[in-house]
Amino acid sequence: MMWLSRLLTPLAPLLACIGLLCVWQAASLALDTGSFPTALEALRAIPDILGDRGSLINILASLRRMAIGLALAVLIAIPLGLLMGRSRNVAAFFNPLLMVIYPVPKAALMPVIMLWLGVGDVSKTLVIFLGVSLPIIYHSFQGARAVEEKMLWSGAAMGMSASRRMLRIVLPAALPEILTGCRTGLVLALITMITSEMIARQSGAGNILFNAMDMAQYDTVFAMILIVGAMGIILDAAFERLRAMLVRWSDAGRAIPLSYS
Amino acid sequence: MIAVENVSHRFETSGRQSHLALDDITLEITDGAFVSILGPSGCGKSTLLYIIGGFVKPTGGVARVQGRAITGPGPDRGPVFQEFALFPWKTVLGNVMYGPRQQRIPRAEAEVQVRRLIDMVGLKGYENFYPKELSGGMKQRVAIARTLAYNPSVLLMDEPFGALDAHTRTRLQNDLLNIWERDRKTVLFVTHAVDEAVFLSDKVIVMTRSPGRIKTIIDIDLPRPRKRAELLLDARYQNYVVAIERLIDDTGIDEAAR
Repeated sequence: MMWLSRLLTPLAPLLACIGLLCVWQAASLALDTGSFPTALEALRAIPDILGDRGSLINILASLRRMAIGLALAVLIAIPLGLLMGRSRNVAAFFNPLLMVIYPVPKAALMPVIMLWLGVGDVSKTLVIFLGVSLPIIYHSFQGARAVEEKMLWSGAAMGMSASRRMLRIVLPAALPEILTGCRTGLVLALITMITSEMIARQSGAGNILFNAMDMAQYDTVFAMILIVGAMGIILDAAFERLRAMLVRWSDAGRAIPLSYS
Repeated sequence: MIAVENVSHRFETSGRQSHLALDDITLEITDGAFVSILGPSGCGKSTLLYIIGGFVKPTGGVARVQGRAITGPGPDRGPVFQEFALFPWKTVLGNVMYGPRQQRIPRAEAEVQVRRLIDMVGLKGYENFYPKELSGGMKQRVAIARTLAYNPSVLLMDEPFGALDAHTRTRLQNDLLNIWERDRKTVLFVTHAVDEAVFLSDKVIVMTRSPGRIKTIIDIDLPRPRKRAELLLDARYQNYVVAIERLIDDTGIDEAAR
């Protein structure tokens, strides 16, 4: 049985996808309603979407907002989380604010933000930024807090200043934890990206999806869901490779499947 | 010279009680001496070392190094911890390079020195290994090399061999003595192992437990360089070990009777 399991392990994700598509196909054929296309119909609609210039521009606009929101979050959330992790006062100041923001679905802020900043890129990018920041802050905070004190003492004995210790010891020591937060953030960014476009329909992947929904083009709806899912898998896999490379020195240096993170 | 003048240290325990860890410690350590601080666990011996390192501020008294009051850590006093505290994201070479680079010694120049140090602690060939790939003994060798690399005049060793197996500990003790014979830095060595303290030191400071006080200071008058095999058979060595073990037992009984 060993040879069988060795053969199956790398194929498992592929088999799971094929299995899902088969169940979908069968369910759709059995139900036979207009609003539930078969898997094959949805798959056939994908090249049409990706071949259409307008759709591509929409998807790229989504990805651009996501990238900007994510980048801003990384730039602000990591330093903030690290400072909170090393300074009791900074943590005492920001913790209550974050506790209030944490349970609020960020998309629920969308109407208010739209009122102030309009339906354009700024609002949507801001919502993505808010959604992504919290897990990154939280993981950076945990990572910074867990840094071994003797490691910082060793640095201090070498003559490193407090700010240098932050940059050269706390940041690298917390990196595995920070990157775990960024990975969660990446998936959240994708989710918030689509939700924000659902509320402020103007452009983007979410816009294609919900316009198709209004026009009862259900094969396009399901094709878009597949495209978004594929984007998630590709982005996550790419980030996971980057992460494993950056922390190959640590025990977290192995690739971790999403379900284990 | 290191001078500790009436140093006390009191801290709040998690139960909000005030605990006196060190009570009125006064001692002097001459340059180039190998001095061990010996005592039962919880006697504040590590705290005393951290105060001299500048990592912990005493709540009373003052510690001085070369006459100046200690206000914080500095490259004149290099710590070596039981936990190694290596930078796991740096290779062996990178860890040992850290101190010299911090002192802005040019990379090429530092690297020649650092490679020599790595060779001296017996880790030639392991320069590109990460700490997670090393055994405990090897990690502590890296930590010692990393501290020696910025050339402190005092080594502050906090139970450095406490986490190692007996065989590795013996080898590291021998190697530490060999290194010390070369440049005779001042070494302050915290341990709870009596034989280790006698084997290594010129002077052994025996502490009592809670509150930590100095019970006695014993000069170890044994010839150097010391050879382990000869010392173990030497009656003077054996007498020191037995006498100090009795002292420690006494402190233990004092504690139980209280």
